[in-house]
Amino acid sequence: MAGKSDHEIVPVHEILRLKEVNELLQEKHIALENLPKIMESDPQCRKLGAKPGHVIKISRNDNGNAYLYYRVVVEG
Amino acid sequence: MAKEKKDDEFKVKFSEPVGMMAAQSVGEPGTQMILRSFHFAGIESAIATSGLPRIVELVDAKKKPATPLSTIYLTGSAAKDIEAAEKVSRKITEVKMNTLVRRIVENFSKGTIKILLSGQELESEELTPKQVADKLGKLMKLDCSVEGFAITISMHTKNLREIRAVRVKIMRAVISGIDGAGKAVVQKDNKTGELYLISAGSNIESIITVEGVDKSRTYTNDVFAMYRQFGIEAARNALARELKATLDEQKISVDIRHLLLIADAMTASGNIKGVGRHGLSGEKHSVFARAAYEETIKHLINAAAFGEIDPMRGVTENILVGKQIPVGTGSVKLAIRKEDMAKVKPKA
Repeated sequence: MAGKSDHEIVPVHEILRLKEVNELLQEKHIALENLPKIMESDPQCRKLGAKPGHVIKISRNDNGNAYLYYRVVVEG
Repeated sequence: MAKEKKDDEFKVKFSEPVGMMAAQSVGEPGTQMILRSFHFAGIESAIATSGLPRIVELVDAKKKPATPLSTIYLTGSAAKDIEAAEKVSRKITEVKMNTLVRRIVENFSKGTIKILLSGQELESEELTPKQVADKLGKLMKLDCSVEGFAITISMHTKNLREIRAVRVKIMRAVISGIDGAGKAVVQKDNKTGELYLISAGSNIESIITVEGVDKSRTYTNDVFAMYRQFGIEAARNALARELKATLDEQKISVDIRHLLLIADAMTASGNIKGVGRHGLSGEKHSVFARAAYEETIKHLINAAAFGEIDPMRGVTENILVGKQIPVGTGSVKLAIRKEDMAKVKPKA
């Protein structure tokens, strides 16, 4: 279901469902505000229509090393 | 039999001070870098900032790079055919009025400005005097009349100051191409034979709207331009890529993970922050950590005035007071259960 990003430098962004958010926070033993942030006005956020409080799942790939990264949407 | 290293052995262990390691790993080879880049006359079109000045520029999150540079990839036939590529390049290359003008004369008594265009320059940019006049008229809402290579602009005022102001504006007007894109030069990839453009500008917002430009690969070394256009993740990748490219150019090999960590730290807040006084170091939670870096007195006085509390969980503040730093074995504490304590026999 992962879409294609609009530039080779942009990894695929997806909004995480609430259930998945809770699972993630429990697994990592952290609070929502401890996640790295992403602005609501970020081009990728606007594309997804993400609102503050949403968690964005980012499918990163650093030199062939694929992993998931998460950012919480904040106002701005 | 040589023992092969498993993936796990490359993994970071719990409580490893990755930030310190990244700082050391970039800082030490950084001392080997050239401190100032020299510019040589006559080589190619643009020479990018390199070496230490470039690293400083990236790490301090400077809004504009000293030498912006865009790599513009092309789609379709433009990627193979030199003529098609030149055509795209002409659409991008910024042509300012002052390069086209041979002479400009103001007549203050009649309130007119007379511009004589250079035929040679017009030809090389494939423009006609009519096009220039139309563009000027549209851009600045002026009455222009064309006669041969001369354009006469009649003003509604005879005010010397206003006419002068318009003249200055005319000379700066962008007649064709993209404002802030600089000159786009066609280049050829030695390996794939693909054609692409390099321009000494970073106005990627407008560049990718040009027909024939590959939107999904066009790249600029201006990290903030990438951030505005593609978002924070693109900025993070661009930062790491630029750091790596700068180090590679000087034949300094630093593990990419250190650079990625720096890029991650700089972009963790959702926008790009430098590492200095106004960025990561200046926003540390601990008072002592901030005071130990720069502007000691300011931080201590503010902390005293507002009754700040320092939980002493970081590295810097613990070094400052001479305590064990919470890193590696220092981050665990030993405890003994009460019932086990009873079993301990005192030495005879």
